[in-house]
Order: sequence, then structure tokens, then C-alpha cells
Amino acid sequence: MKVYDVAIVGGGVVGCAIAWYLAHCSLDILLLEKREDVCCGVSKANTGILHSRSYWTPGTLKGEMHLRSLSWFERAFRELGLSPLRCGALTLAFSREEARYLEVSTKSEETSAEAAILSPKEVLAIEPRVNPEIYAGYFDPETMVVSPFALTIALAEGAALNGVEIHCGKEVIALESSGRFLRICCSDGTAYHARFLVNCAGASAVRLAQNLGDSLPSLSFFRGQYFVLDRECQGFVRCVLYPVPTEKSKGILVAPTPEGNLLLGPNFEPTQGEDTATTREGLLEVERGVQRLVPDVPLDRVITTFSGVRPALPERDFLIAFSPSLPCVLHLAGIESPGLTACFGIAEYVGELLARRGLPLRERNDFRFRVPSRAFRECSLEERERLIREDPDWGKIVCRCEEVTLAEVKRALRANPPARTLDGLKRRIRVFAGRCQGSFCGMHLPRILESEGGIPVHGLQKSGPGSFYVLRRDEVATYAEVR
Amino acid sequence: MPRSVDAEVVVIGGGPAGMAAALSAWEWGARRVFLLERNPHLGGILNQCIHPGFGLRLFGEELTGPEYAERYIEALEKTRVEVLTDTTVLEVGGDRHVVAVNREGVWIFRARTVVFAVGCRERTRGMIRLPGTRPAGIFTAGCAQYLVNIEGYLPGKRAVILGSGDIGLIMARRLTLEGVRVEAVVEILPTLSGLLRNYVQCLLDFRIPLLLSHTVLEVLGKERVEGVVVGRVDEKGNPVGEKRLLPCDTLLLSVGLVPESELLKKSQIPLCPSSGGPFVDEDFACDVPGFFACGNVVGVFDLVDYVTESALRIGRRIGENEGHTPPRFILSPREGVATLFPQRIRRGKDGFLYVRPKEGLRKARLSLIHNGKEFHSLTFPLCRPGEMVRLDLAQVSWPEEEGEVQVVLRGEKHVDLL
Repeated sequence: MKVYDVAIVGGGVVGCAIAWYLAHCSLDILLLEKREDVCCGVSKANTGILHSRSYWTPGTLKGEMHLRSLSWFERAFRELGLSPLRCGALTLAFSREEARYLEVSTKSEETSAEAAILSPKEVLAIEPRVNPEIYAGYFDPETMVVSPFALTIALAEGAALNGVEIHCGKEVIALESSGRFLRICCSDGTAYHARFLVNCAGASAVRLAQNLGDSLPSLSFFRGQYFVLDRECQGFVRCVLYPVPTEKSKGILVAPTPEGNLLLGPNFEPTQGEDTATTREGLLEVERGVQRLVPDVPLDRVITTFSGVRPALPERDFLIAFSPSLPCVLHLAGIESPGLTACFGIAEYVGELLARRGLPLRERNDFRFRVPSRAFRECSLEERERLIREDPDWGKIVCRCEEVTLAEVKRALRANPPARTLDGLKRRIRVFAGRCQGSFCGMHLPRILESEGGIPVHGLQKSGPGSFYVLRRDEVATYAEVR
Repeated sequence: MPRSVDAEVVVIGGGPAGMAAALSAWEWGARRVFLLERNPHLGGILNQCIHPGFGLRLFGEELTGPEYAERYIEALEKTRVEVLTDTTVLEVGGDRHVVAVNREGVWIFRARTVVFAVGCRERTRGMIRLPGTRPAGIFTAGCAQYLVNIEGYLPGKRAVILGSGDIGLIMARRLTLEGVRVEAVVEILPTLSGLLRNYVQCLLDFRIPLLLSHTVLEVLGKERVEGVVVGRVDEKGNPVGEKRLLPCDTLLLSVGLVPESELLKKSQIPLCPSSGGPFVDEDFACDVPGFFACGNVVGVFDLVDYVTESALRIGRRIGENEGHTPPRFILSPREGVATLFPQRIRRGKDGFLYVRPKEGLRKARLSLIHNGKEFHSLTFPLCRPGEMVRLDLAQVSWPEEEGEVQVVLRGEKHVDLL
């Protein structure tokens, strides 16, 4: 019987960051994810902004984790093979009152050295498309943007590369403590054993805690809706453009992405559970909010809309605390914005908490850095030629919008953790993520996944059980039967 | 290093437009003609259009899509046009270098003439901002058509089709014949978007309801589509009146086609805002010398016969090699015209003008107006947005003076189907 040192429940950005962090030490680590893949919940749908120190919230655990995380960024990018978009951010004030907020926030000791309050003229020199009615702006050069999928999946791959076992489709439903270790029971009947359990179940964290016998304050859910604009809009704005934030949220913003798309949103609305539907009203609200910042935003270039859910505790702060009943169970709940930014800080903090309860953190000397897969669309002609000579599958484009090749599909299918669904492929290599939204690659991919990934066409899923893509003819009644 | 190839003509896209363009270039004497196709076979979307109705105008007989394509594939086999399949063009430079990749490597064609025959793509859920959840089971109609007709799978058991474009109508019938229950075709406009014959043969004959002035307001379902909320809309497309739930597991979108003009943008070819494709003259030459475009990348045609007809004009122009003179007339869409092509007239001696009506009109009159004076007109009892008006340019006597020509469609407004 294998006993893991740590079992992490939840394959979102926080769970994966903890797994990757702990993988730097000589430990047996298990990550259990209830969905079919990592990055399927809260972490898959957000703006992907790595907030700089200018935007931290003093006096909170959120703020503390945020600051801790900052010093990890460059090391993490290097070890994970990630290239964030180092675009900076402009907070835009449209009135004297709003400008006062900018002044207050710059007085904080933790703001970046180069951050500055700008006149309208200076703002428009950086971002000519900003609403000319601008009153003042606050420029922060340290803000970055990553793809939230790319970060979460890189963390998972970096963890797996260093021995973390990632098991998907494993929903934890119960826990038994035998004194020396925990027995973790999953809904499919499987069980695992571990010395520590870290609950990073995101939207399900409180429910999981309840199942394990702990009562945490209940989560409320806030939904944010977004537009994604065509990559052809790349360069429309250079920085992240924020409005002056409100008590509740950072507001509806415009963000360039590392892939070249433009992200507009999110609005902020209470919702029931993990309801990630978009609504006509919500999208209109985003449209109006964005037009206030950049009136000419090319809304005719929308390629898709989505919404993300943020699970929040009543205090609107993170909760990271050991279970009162089981000293080796650590709960993380209410990890809303800036959870993505703070993930490295959270991981380090969790490591410290576990160490204090006896987890030996001995850094290993054979930790491996993740070498990212090449994206064909980012290669020079010479590199493309070389890649095709090494493997002709690089010369077969399967997604014309994002220029994804057969070689990349095959690698995603064989990665660890592997893509098993259409959404899993989308998050790894951007098929289905371009302007045709899968109208073209959706024709040819099923056959490729069958021959290269052993996923039969009629068993192909978009996002897990129930989300079948197509049916076999014999699964549908015939014309004669219907008549 | 990438392989460099000198070419007289490079045609991008092996669908009906590209095949006809390559063929005509060859027949008018061009050599070193390359036809680049990203799929393993020539024919383009015709291959998945297994229904009949193609070729009535051009051949006087009713062919299926693959049969229509086969005629041009066979004709090409008799030439020495070099066909490269499984070859995707990534970039076209303003100096007419064409970068393509296939399993052999990277190719750089240095071409005297480049022909864009890259077709169009379907508008998506995001483009129409259809709210709701994002489950499996939402397909563009053309994607579903491929999956059914080429791969042999069905998209679901119970479908709603949003949009009454031709592919949607064709798929309503196709799915019905395969045993899928098609609950309704829902059209936001007060009129049908596709061809009338498709309405009769695909919906009426199979008693599939067509809900005009209705749209899908919301998609429901977590993992897979479980239903759609359908409601009436006003003239601006805003929901009015009661909504109802149509249970289904599949939503097909047939909400319009847009020219795939991304490659043209990269090579700085001027695009027409109303068609979404490049500005072309009656020989389908673009505004930049050495570039041509034909087929649905120019603007969306409703009959493949017209695509072929237009693409076949390119060869003569290349063969005559008469240089790139400025156009004599610039046609602009005005009252009653959604879009038109060609937008430039150089000789005005032959060729056709294709005009897409903005709305349904009875006793319609298409007028060409120069300096406030109508110098040519064409009348017909009825026009609809779903069917292009085609004007024979050989019939037009053009004014002496060059300049802008306004194209106007007037008539009695009517919104009935028939």
C-alpha cells in the first residue's frame, strides 16, 4: 500500500501550484481532480492578469499571499518555460474623485518604483485609443498577463515531470483517519492513502470540507462575463486598461493576451453556484463598461464569449487553515481574485504550514525544468523547415486559425497530464480557440483523435462525461422509425 | 532552408473557384501554374454537399457537389497544372511571395500572379453573441454537414437550427432523413435567408416549422445542449413577447458566411467593407497588380455555378497580360443593396455584376446611376436577400465620363416568403 506524503485535492491553479512547489522536495505527492482534466473549474475562466504590487490589498491574507508570490514570478517562468506578456497596466480615472483614488493608491509603500500618475496627454501618448475624456491615469509597468490555462497546465506538467501523480476523474467524498495516515475515498470507489491532505477544491472546497466533517463559512459565487476578440486586434491596446476599482471588484477592463487576443470584461454579478452561462444583459454591461475606457473597441471582432465564476467567502478574503478536527488536513477556500497572481505565494505558505506540522521539506537536487512544447505559429520559417524535416507531422496544419499542426495535437495527447477532451486540447494547443471556433478543425479532429489518441469518435467528449461530440448512426432512430 | 519555387500563377484554394481559376489560367497559356489545397482532396466544400442542385446553370443538368467537383478535377488532370494537396498557405507577401507548408517542408513560391480562392467561413456563436451555457452540441451547419456526410456520424437526436441560410435548410432535410428530429428552423429576420427552392424542398416537403422573426435567446444545458429558449424579436432583433423552451440536444448555426480574407489583409490588399472580401474588377483582379480573387472570398455567392463563371474569367486576363490600368468606374452599393461585386469596372464589355438585395422587394428595379442619371436598369417581379441579382455587363452601355456609379434597388417592400 502506497502512502503519499501529501494528497492535493483540486487541479486548479492553486492545487497545481502547490503540487509543483512541493515537487521541488523529495516527497511523494498525489493530485486528485474530480473533472477529466486539470484546469476545468474556476481557474479556466479569468483574465489571467498577474497583478503587480501596486494592486495588493494591505491587511489581508490575499494581500500577503499576493506579495509573497511576486518574488516567485521570474523563477517560476524560467522553471515552467512560460513567457508572460509584460505589458504593464493603466488605471484610468475619468473624474477628480476617481483621480483622488489614484493618488491614494500610489502613496502606498509597496507600489512599483516606476509607477506614476499621468496626465491625459501622457495617457493618450501610451494608449491613443483611450477615451479622450480621460482625467488622469496611473501607469504600472510591472503588470503582466498570462494565459490562465497555460499557467495551470504548465504547473501540472512541471509537477508531473517531477514525479507528482495526477489522477483525474477522482472526486473525493470521504476521509478516514487511522492516526498515522488518512484514507481518502473517491466517488468511483478508489481509495488513496496520504499523510497530509490539502483541500484546494475551489468552488467545491467548502462542500468537500463538510464531507470531511469540518464546517467552513459558505461560499458565495460571483460571475464575470467576457468577450474574446480576434487575434487580428492585437496591438489595439498595449497595456491592461483598468477603470478605477469599486469596493466589490476591479471593474470591467481591457486586457491584451499573450496569444494576441483582446479580452474584455468581466462584469460582476452574484450567481447561483457554478453557473457559467452568459446573459444578454451581462454582455451588454461589459460592452458599455469597455466603451467607457476605449470608445472604438472593435466589438465586431468578437470570436467568443464566456463567463467565469469566483468563489468568495463572506469576509472576501482567502482562508487557509488547518482542519479543527484533523490536524493533517489543510483547507483553502475563497481563493478568488487575485488567486492566480497569488498562487506561488500560496504554495510557499502552504509548504511552510505543512512543514510546521512535520512534513519534511528537503529540496532535491534533481528537480527538472519544464521544456515547453513549441507552437508552430511562433516559429520562424527556418525553424518550421527544421521541425518538418524532423517530423513531417509539423507540416500538416489541422487548425488554420491558430496554425496548429498535427505534431502538436499528438504531443498534447501524449503529454502528462494528457488532453483527453476537445476542451483539454483547446487549453493546451488552441485548436477550437481561433476565429472559426472549431467550425473547421471540428471536422477533422475527431478522426485524428481516434487514430492518434485512441479516443473513438463516438466516445469523444467536449469536457467530460455527458458532453458527447457526435453519435453513431445506430444510436439514432432511422427516418422510417421517426415517421 | 525552405524551398523556393518560381511560378507564373499560384492559386490558393482547390475548391470550385480555385479549380476554375487554375484551369482557365492554363487554357489561356499560363505555365508553371500551381494549385495549393490544404485538404487531401480537391473540391473544397463541394465534397460534403452530397445533395443535388449544382450545375443547373452551367451544365443544364442537376449534379451533386462531388459530381460537380469531379468535372473540374478531371479537366485539371488533362493539364499540367501542379496540384499540391495537404498544403496550407500561411502567408502572402505584397511582393507576391507565397509561403506554404506541407509534409515535405516549407515552400516559398515567387509568383507573377497570385489568385486567392480561399472561400469563406461560417459565422459562429460568438459572432452573434448567443448567450447561455457552453455545452457540447453546438455546431455550425457546415461542420455538422461534414461530420454527417463525410465522417458518417450524427450530431445528436433532436436539433434546432438557427438561421435559414442555405446550409441550414439543406441540413434540416439531411438530418431529418437520418432520423434526427428537427424541431424548427429559427430565423431572426422576417424573411428567409436562403434560396426559395431550398425552403420548399427542405422544409415544406418535410413539414419542418420555420419561425420567422424569431431567434434563440439562450442556450441551456451543462455538459450537452438540453434545450434552447426561442422568442420573437422586433425589426432590430430585440426580444419582444413570450419565450418558449424547445428541448433539443443539438443546435446548428446557419447564421451567415464571411469571406476568409485574413491572408489578403496580411498582403495589404484593399477590402470592401460591405462584402468583407477584396475589391475586384469584372475580371476579378484586386486593386493591387498581380493579385486576383475569386469565389466566396470575394463575397458570398449563392450558386456554385456563378463561382465557377466568375473564376473562369481570370485566365484570359492573365493571358492577355494587358497590364493594370486604373478602373473606369467604381460601383458603390446604395439604397436597397446589401453588397455587390465586382466593385470596379475596367472595360465594361463583358462579365457579370452580382448584387445582394438588402430586403425583399416586389416589382424591383436595379438601377446604375452616374452623375445622378440612371444609364442602365433591370426590372424583375421579385427580389429577396437570399437570391443574388445578376446583371450581364455586356448589356450595359457605359457613360463616356469615368467615375462613381451608384447601384440602387427599388421596389415595393414586401416581407412575405413568396
